[in-house]
Amino acid sequence: MKNIVLILLLSLQLSAAYTQKVKLPSVTFAIENDKNIKVMQRNCQWCHSYGYILNQGKQSKEFWHKIVLKMRDVYHAPINARDEKIATEYLFKYYGNGKM
Amino acid sequence: MHRREFFKISFAAATAIVANLEASNTIRPRDNQKVLPIKFPQKRELILHSDRPPLLETPRDFFTTAITPNDAFFVRWHMPIIPTATNLDTYYVHIHGEVEKRLYLTVDMLKNDFEAVEVTAVMQCGGNSRSAFRPTTSGIQWGSGAMGCATFKGVRLKDILKKAGLKEDARWISLNGNDKAVMTKIENFKRELKIDEISDDTIVAYEMNGEEIPFLNGYPLRLIIPGFYADSWVKQLSDIYVTKEYQKYFFMDVAYRIPDNECECEEPDNLAKKTKPLEYMNVKSYIGYPKNNQKVKRATNLRIKGVAFDAGEGIKAVQISLDGGKTWQSATLADELSRYAFRVFTYNLKPMKKGKLQIMAKAINNKGEEQPFAHEIKWNHGGYKYNGIDSVTVTVV
Repeated sequence: MKNIVLILLLSLQLSAAYTQKVKLPSVTFAIENDKNIKVMQRNCQWCHSYGYILNQGKQSKEFWHKIVLKMRDVYHAPINARDEKIATEYLFKYYGNGKM
Repeated sequence: MHRREFFKISFAAATAIVANLEASNTIRPRDNQKVLPIKFPQKRELILHSDRPPLLETPRDFFTTAITPNDAFFVRWHMPIIPTATNLDTYYVHIHGEVEKRLYLTVDMLKNDFEAVEVTAVMQCGGNSRSAFRPTTSGIQWGSGAMGCATFKGVRLKDILKKAGLKEDARWISLNGNDKAVMTKIENFKRELKIDEISDDTIVAYEMNGEEIPFLNGYPLRLIIPGFYADSWVKQLSDIYVTKEYQKYFFMDVAYRIPDNECECEEPDNLAKKTKPLEYMNVKSYIGYPKNNQKVKRATNLRIKGVAFDAGEGIKAVQISLDGGKTWQSATLADELSRYAFRVFTYNLKPMKKGKLQIMAKAINNKGEEQPFAHEIKWNHGGYKYNGIDSVTVTVV
């Protein structure tokens, strides 16, 4: 009996020091849907939501290309040469400011 | 290199600088961004830039008080993998390296075995107000709400190092938290401090505004370095590594760096070769009330309210201009909670003329440094340290 009480007390203490798992809401940041969205899905979402894309505002093609390269070279996103081109075109098409 | 070639190159560089000075033109940061009806744990509805990693910005209305409420405090994580459950029985900070005694300190040990100290300080992201820079720099395009001020309670970092006992040749410490990248090649968000530059105000905090630190602000332990930009304030602190030599870390040596020259500025086509880590904040103020596009009544008292701060010199004055910055009048300063805290300013007026009214606020610190106009802010590639004079325009009806 003593043992049971002890175990109970112990487990109570443990649970008191254990913080409930925090649930983070999942929010959909919708980006334009076309056949190339798959390129965005397989390269960008490893590390961040599409909020990061929308947050940048409309930018030049050079800006988006530099971002794609930064994601590949600095943050190690697995972007191959074909996807590099498609992602840049996609970003410029929907989130471009018309300037090259 | 031949002398003649050298001159040619520097001449080309000089022309590029002149051409670009006209092209780069700082504007005012984003404002009046939408507050989405989504609540993150322990937070109220805020400006949401991303859910993964979570990026939340505090709306303008909250900058009328010296203390920012925990549930309105901005959130910025770099890594997508954040431990969402913390067992305080097994959570500890590991102090190791050039120390006499390796330590594993739990939160309870920090609370019971050390002197508790409190410091009220402004926490501001280095990229706060980044959206003002033109051309646009990469990085989150924050408005001006990536900042807040809180009272933190915890233990002096110096006391922890003293307990571990620094070896004679210990010079640097690396600080690491529990958040992680998806790609294994990416380093953790580590920061590095020079031991003899650690102040008594630098603490490992376990409380924020009298409560446990909110999960999204770094629960259960966060490094607090008053005066420094928040990129150095490691969240979910778990590791303190003492070294003889400076270690190279991505987030110290590549990211979060600014030009190491007098203006801390550079040109998009001619980036500064010498850079330095972001450290001390510059003087800044922000109007919390009224807001842009707000309607105010003619011939009625209007009480302008806002906050001002710097890196710890303290605020000497805040001035208000109602004529586009031609003339300035002193605002009233509230008590100073700490030299690192938000200093609340107020200014009363009774607008008599109907139509648009522009209100500008400028802070001056005890060193005599004052905020430049927004358009005078010089560009840097990371979009850091914007501190232009704030302005809101209301309509008098």
